[in-house]
Amino acid sequence: MPELDDRLTRCFASVFPALSPDQIRAASVETVPDWDSLAAVTLIAVLEEEFNTPIDLMEMPELTSYQAVRDYVQKQIK
Amino acid sequence: MNLIEALELSKKPVPPDAKLFRVFLGCGFTPLHLQSFFHAHLRQLLPENRVEIKTGLFGDLAGSLERLDPKALDGLAVALEWPDLDSRLGIRELGGWQVSDVDEVVSSVDRQLSRLQRALTTAARAVAVVVALPTIPLPPLFYTPPNINSAEKTKLLLSLAKFAADLSEEPGIRILDSQSLNSVSPPAARFDIKSEILTGFPYKLPHASTLAQLMASLLQAQRPKKGLITDLDDTLWSGILGEVGVEGVSWSLEHHSHIHGLYQQFLSSLASAGVLVGVASKNDAALVQQAFDRKDLLLKKDKVFPFEVHWHRKSDSVQRILKSWNIGPEAVVFIDDSPMEAAEVKAAFPAMECLVFKKDDYQSVWDLLANLRASFGKTAISKEDAIRLESLRRAAPLLDALGQDGNASDEFLKRADAFVSFDFSKRPKDGRAFELVNKTNQFNLNGKRFSESEWAKFLADPASFLVTVTYQDKYGPLGKIAVVLGKVNEKKLHVAAWVMSCRAFSRRIEHHTLKRILDKFDADEAVFDFQATERNSPTQDFFLELAGAPPQPGLKILRTSFLEKAPPLFHRVEET
Repeated sequence: MPELDDRLTRCFASVFPALSPDQIRAASVETVPDWDSLAAVTLIAVLEEEFNTPIDLMEMPELTSYQAVRDYVQKQIK
Repeated sequence: MNLIEALELSKKPVPPDAKLFRVFLGCGFTPLHLQSFFHAHLRQLLPENRVEIKTGLFGDLAGSLERLDPKALDGLAVALEWPDLDSRLGIRELGGWQVSDVDEVVSSVDRQLSRLQRALTTAARAVAVVVALPTIPLPPLFYTPPNINSAEKTKLLLSLAKFAADLSEEPGIRILDSQSLNSVSPPAARFDIKSEILTGFPYKLPHASTLAQLMASLLQAQRPKKGLITDLDDTLWSGILGEVGVEGVSWSLEHHSHIHGLYQQFLSSLASAGVLVGVASKNDAALVQQAFDRKDLLLKKDKVFPFEVHWHRKSDSVQRILKSWNIGPEAVVFIDDSPMEAAEVKAAFPAMECLVFKKDDYQSVWDLLANLRASFGKTAISKEDAIRLESLRRAAPLLDALGQDGNASDEFLKRADAFVSFDFSKRPKDGRAFELVNKTNQFNLNGKRFSESEWAKFLADPASFLVTVTYQDKYGPLGKIAVVLGKVNEKKLHVAAWVMSCRAFSRRIEHHTLKRILDKFDADEAVFDFQATERNSPTQDFFLELAGAPPQPGLKILRTSFLEKAPPLFHRVEET
């Protein structure tokens, strides 16, 4: 789903502007020092707007990598 | 603007030498997305600046404001919410909604508002302050049903209203109008309780964006327009004067033409606030004068200047009105019921806002009035606003007396019985000097605008000086019309800003001003931070006359050279 990846990459880039597209797709809490709780809340808000779907803030502890976010969003918008 | 757009806009690169615009965003909650939106909206308004936003401590708005150094800021924006006034008016602290608590909450809100008022008033002396009153609903704390205004709730709202009224009277403080906010952000769609509980951020995103946009626009308010040119037939009144006669035109309920009366009333209100109102009408001039003699006309004849009534093109009329007012087309709105006339004027003056008065579409006229108020609205009315029209009308003989070079003769000026007053106080009684520097275009040394903090910082330097010039002659007072800001070092003046209202041209006031400051500081020379702008040709002409060559940045004028070249000055002078 290249369109999903493009949209997710734009969301991630708006929150982590220093990351390249390749770095974004490999990004996780461990590899991105700026990925703190504020960034996580901002990322969730951006994703909610972009995909027009509510994301439970309670899910935040699970959404710790690009891949995890991708899997979650894919499930939500199915 | 959605959040992703805000984040992208905020992170757009700025030139390395971009001027820094420093703002403190005061709020007691986690600023989170409000900060992102605020940053983005300020970037939109200040594309050439690097915007830096600082925030305070969570839950301590008053303390954050008290600890501020406003001199280090260019703006202060406060998003006040109920928990900032008493934590029991929020939901993140538990244990305080007993009936017995309510009176104490009301008292504590009063105390906290006083504390905030002191902090904001102090800050406003050095920096522009914007305050948004609470935007999210009160919690279900009161024992009455929510649709009943209990005495306690009413007291709370009263305290808040008094706080807002007191702050509104402070020159440097702008309160965000709650009705304007309500019209673009429905109150019931603002509060995000889950976000508030889980992250400490209380707003839904659309509300955060709207609130941020309005606060940014108050901090960087557009300069109000100065003049309005109106058509008459089927615009100022209903009917074609040449067809129905003076008594046939109407603006009343009984003639189903009340909307025109409303428009007249509005123009009269604008005129009373210092807005120039002129008439451009294809009509019979004598009939128009008779119509303006009607006692029931709400826009009185003496509120209008000039009248351009003839059968020539509207754009010719507009050209002459602009000349009489001596202002540019971008500062003027033209209104006509004919889309063709509006288009003709727009084609001649692309920078002018040209609007159509749709007399049969009441909602459109109502929206027009609201938009005009937005274009012409001011934060305060000055003494100069009250005399602007009269001084222009009285200046007509002077304009007639000007030679081809745009200068009045010695003889005319000698008989003008002119009086110039120079005020060297660095703490003027009103904000007119600051306002003039930030709105004058034509006689302007360099076009530089000052923020409140830059202004205060400049004047705090012991070497600095500020001169405010007031003028009147036998044709009437012009009020405070010129300002010079600079520094003096031994016998050398360094002029950083010099502006003069276009109403004061051709009277040699600029010559007398330079002479006066050279004399006052016993200076041998003056160096000017001159910069040519698209619109400061009157300043360029003045310096060309004195220096004998087109002025350049760093222009220097020696006292001896000035005294040789200055024309005779006939004003009586006073220093206050």
